[in-house]
Amino acid sequence: MELSTHVRERRWVTVAGYGLFVALMVAGYYYNITFVQLGLIDLGTRLVGMSETAVSMWMAALALVTLVVAAATGMTMDRRGWSTNLRTKLRLLFGVVCVQFALTVVAPMIRTVPAFGAWIIFASIGLGVGFPVSFSLAIDLVPVPDRGYVAAGITAIAYFLANAIPLSWSVDVFSQLMVAAMAPGLLVLGVLSFTSFNRLDAILDTLGTQHETYGTGRFCYGDPIQTRSLAFAVPVVLMFGVFFIDSLGFLRIIDTPSLLLSSWQSTDLSTRLFIAVAHVIGAVMAGVIYANYSLSRVFLWTFALFALTHVMYTSDLRFAALFPTIAGQEASPLNPALYAIAVSFYTTLNFALWPDLSTPETIGTHSAIGIGVAGWLATFSSTALALYFQAVDLTLLSHLNVVQALSLLLLFGLAVGLYARRMIELARENGGASG
Amino acid sequence: MTPTEAIPLLIVVLLMISIGGSDVQEMSVTFQGDHDIESLADVHVVAGGATTVPENATVDGNVYVIGGTTDIDGTVDGDVTLLAGNLSVNDGATVTGTLQTYSGSATVSSDASVGQISQFEPPTRSSSPAQRVVGFLLRFLVLGAFGWWLVERHPLVIENVGAAITEHALVNAVVGSLGATTLLVLFVYMAFTLILLPVAIVGLIVEFFIVLYGQAVFGYLIGTRLPIERDGVATLAGIAAFLLVLELLGFVPYLGGIAQLVVAVVGFGAVLNTYFGLQRFEPVTISRGT
Repeated sequence: MELSTHVRERRWVTVAGYGLFVALMVAGYYYNITFVQLGLIDLGTRLVGMSETAVSMWMAALALVTLVVAAATGMTMDRRGWSTNLRTKLRLLFGVVCVQFALTVVAPMIRTVPAFGAWIIFASIGLGVGFPVSFSLAIDLVPVPDRGYVAAGITAIAYFLANAIPLSWSVDVFSQLMVAAMAPGLLVLGVLSFTSFNRLDAILDTLGTQHETYGTGRFCYGDPIQTRSLAFAVPVVLMFGVFFIDSLGFLRIIDTPSLLLSSWQSTDLSTRLFIAVAHVIGAVMAGVIYANYSLSRVFLWTFALFALTHVMYTSDLRFAALFPTIAGQEASPLNPALYAIAVSFYTTLNFALWPDLSTPETIGTHSAIGIGVAGWLATFSSTALALYFQAVDLTLLSHLNVVQALSLLLLFGLAVGLYARRMIELARENGGASG
Repeated sequence: MTPTEAIPLLIVVLLMISIGGSDVQEMSVTFQGDHDIESLADVHVVAGGATTVPENATVDGNVYVIGGTTDIDGTVDGDVTLLAGNLSVNDGATVTGTLQTYSGSATVSSDASVGQISQFEPPTRSSSPAQRVVGFLLRFLVLGAFGWWLVERHPLVIENVGAAITEHALVNAVVGSLGATTLLVLFVYMAFTLILLPVAIVGLIVEFFIVLYGQAVFGYLIGTRLPIERDGVATLAGIAAFLLVLELLGFVPYLGGIAQLVVAVVGFGAVLNTYFGLQRFEPVTISRGT
């Protein structure tokens, strides 16, 4: 790891950059996977009194608006040169956190559908601006060789906290916790963004020029990757596939009390800790593989893990359907643990991939399109499909069977695609068959 | 019993039936409800519910119990194997073959007639020193012969795997643990299809072979650090030292087991990453900046 070299050579400003990036991303991601993904469902159904379907539709709208705002923000950042200005990015982030802080405070007080809708729109704007800005900080704060490990650290910490801390999935609880956690963060961001004194200026100047060294991502050496190129489109499509599979499967799993209460919402702390540790192990594995293998290998492992996870889930359900006496009511914690490893795998990849597919000139656009299309559009589409499945009363097994089929198809498709690419390379090298 | 727990037991039974030479296609299984068995095709598996061999009945075949309750009041002309659940061989009942108990609860009446009763004892550290020495020597002979052959005939192959272990231990540990786990699950599910049972057995044997391969390479690495000139002899000495260390680690509670596991997965990953030693493992190079 480059970090050890920086520590050995006492480059404390660069080391602090790692810490700042990890802290910001952990906070942002924790907010997203708890407050936005889980708290909103509780807010809409319990406090506002909407149906689950109506809340899901609003969440799909949130995903779509976030995508549009993120794309606009990313492109503006690149065009106006904000992507390479650390102070500007910190100020934008400060504004986003202010909006989110206010939204978090008022969320438990919302009782009407129009207020809920307005909350969704403001939250989308905050998220849409926040994603490209925070991801673009990677070019200033994280050296290229360490991006996989840093991404693993962010994933491991965020998911460990989300699973190990026994919080009920209620908007009031999330709101109290987030307000307490965001207040000091807001203060620090305010200081970094708006105050000026010699020591702080020197630190920010050093960090702000690091993009000249670390700005060109791992996959951009030689020919920088263009936004309208296959080299960018293929990872976007593959990540869309991963997010879609995860979201489609998880939406149904968390809607099934027997699966949820024996895993992520188990009253048994050891079960939750088991899942939290699985997340950490998955993240570390993904970090090591990302740093040592080609991108295609990381994607192959991700799809293989998702395929394996859903094969296990559906096998258990099929077995339970055939032999209900043997299956009983218990559920094994092994399946959610394997699910956790797969999720950590692709989350780590997501944190490292977009900066590594970018240069300082394209980081805003690429991270916005990458996360917007792969993350938010996939969430929007999977939510819509899950609602359709719900409307046609699809059983749990049939629902997860679709997810399993998609994950196997992606695994097979990627393997075939890689093989075909190699064939084309060989054909071009040899100008046809060679002896 | 969860499906995740039941499936492995069924797989174990399938493997035992295959190894025992019985016909898997002739197997019948009881999952629930009360059943009286008057006759058997070849093999019967009790996975749940209550199964009884009635007092005057004589069934010809083997019975496996992996769950539920089984009562034998009549005659079983074959073996009875208990893996989990409850088994009672009652007054006047007869089992002509072996009653093998691995786990679960077995009650055998003093008025019952059983050909042979065998209780599986998991290998423990308290086994006799002679047994342990013989086991150690056997492992040494197998690994030593393999290591010697590799060093003498294919030195580059073992060198490649050794280099992967010493230079990229963490990467190999990750790939080894991921690869070994996913392959294990894959083979278990393959076995469950019955059609792919032979493939699953071969796959499990290959996985075991890869672990042994890794162990031989660890021995080779120790051998290269010993003051012995001849490579083959050094490897043999290294393998002996490695196996001894593994044995000693077994005495350390928890940490010893973890260390043994780490060694296994690192070796496994190194063998996979080097394509069984055919290619030197080189991770991708990431530029450090412009």
